[in-house]
Amino acid sequence: MMPIWTKSGKKHAVTLLKVQDCHVLKYISKEESGGKTSKLLVGGKNTSPFYKTESAMEIFKAAGVPRKQKVTTFNVTEDALIKPGTPLYAAHFRPGQYVDVTAKTIGKGFQGVMKRWGFKGQPASHGQTKTHRRPGAISTNKAAKVYRGKKMPGKMGNIYRTSFGLKVWRINTKHDIIYVNGSVPGHTNCLVKVKDSRLPTYKDCNKNPPFPTFFADGDEKLPEDLYDEEIFQFTDPSVTY
Amino acid sequence: FSSSGYRVSSNGNAAKFQPPPKPIIVDKQKQKEEKRFLSPEFIPPRGRKDPLKFYIERKDMIRRRKVFNIPEFYVGSILAVTTADPYASNKASRFVGICIQRGGRGLGATFVLRNVIEDQGVEICYELYSPRIQAIEVLKLEKRLDDNLMYLRDALPEYSTFDVNMKPVTHLDHEEIPVNKLQVRMKPKPWSKRWERPKYNIKGIKFELPEEKMKEAQKWSQPWLEFDMLREYDTSKIEEKIWREVNEELKK
Repeated sequence: MMPIWTKSGKKHAVTLLKVQDCHVLKYISKEESGGKTSKLLVGGKNTSPFYKTESAMEIFKAAGVPRKQKVTTFNVTEDALIKPGTPLYAAHFRPGQYVDVTAKTIGKGFQGVMKRWGFKGQPASHGQTKTHRRPGAISTNKAAKVYRGKKMPGKMGNIYRTSFGLKVWRINTKHDIIYVNGSVPGHTNCLVKVKDSRLPTYKDCNKNPPFPTFFADGDEKLPEDLYDEEIFQFTDPSVTY
Repeated sequence: FSSSGYRVSSNGNAAKFQPPPKPIIVDKQKQKEEKRFLSPEFIPPRGRKDPLKFYIERKDMIRRRKVFNIPEFYVGSILAVTTADPYASNKASRFVGICIQRGGRGLGATFVLRNVIEDQGVEICYELYSPRIQAIEVLKLEKRLDDNLMYLRDALPEYSTFDVNMKPVTHLDHEEIPVNKLQVRMKPKPWSKRWERPKYNIKGIKFELPEEKMKEAQKWSQPWLEFDMLREYDTSKIEEKIWREVNEELKK
């Protein structure tokens, strides 16, 4: 995470996400998947092809791509289909766009009810016998049962969670890095899924996105760094009012 | 009778031939290279982060340093900082103070300046790379016995007062940075932190506490810490590499 300053002098915290060897793996049509739209399977970081069965490696062999550590699905419309095997770069996103970032949260193990659900517990003194961090009552008398989904101690973390509506401040095309506003679920160097935001406020945010994606061997030559308009460039003199 | 070996000086006394004094060649280039100062925020902390992130941050820091001069200073030097302030009359505010702490790494590096203005202690934490800072001047470049002068909060106020209009003290390039071995006198206890305890390792306080209190403070010493190999973080090689990289970029 890094600080970023706007032209008015305000500071924002930014998370750096690196796009590491992303390739499109497979195209699943609408009828095959049974959903509303067709799907594209996308794979992340490269890992070793050993320690995996032949059947699992079939998808990677068909796309002609080394084995990936993580495979996710994206729901895509018919006009945005990409051929399996094409690499995906950070320039697919542009500064000023809003994204949702999904990742597995940091696993905290088996945790009690105070840390997991934020219960208040009981006082430390004034006669409490062996009861300081317990949940207390779990249901009422009339119910005569405990409802499903009752908040109780259990394994906390290590589940997929999404941060919605994060602004993209800057894109580094040379090293494939996306600068995303605020914090993102997951530990450092964990694998993360970045999608265009589904929030209704940001529906019309992206004016000219690279459609269907940014192709490195295409005609467009991008500069090494793409900035949002509001970012203070370090080559400018200091801010004055 | 030969007079070759003798010269008659202006006084009239016979003086032996004195060869002209040899010129002292001061090689400024060599002297500048010998003095290596790398600002502490360039040194990456120990962790699992990708070194690429620190490399990119360093590139941004160098870009800012090319436009805006961040001078060399240490904890204990007296600085004057002018920042852009939308609510001030001149749109700029100047603060003079002693640097008591330098924290943070990378672009978020900060330094805290302390001064006592009209009997009120004031501490301001500035970010080194913030675009609102318009000038940083070093009024007096010196070091102190400690890396962290937070104990000045519990010291007598005379040790934290500095004249707001003080003139900058000149410091020649080739001289070593002076170490001020001042031992500060404290206000009566209670203090904000127990500065006599060995974990703070403070050398710059003149403790006027009784012997038993000093002995009792040593109960919290952890003498095994200096031998703990897992805590070792040798930054000498990293510093050299980064220093060379930063200097090359700054010269361009």
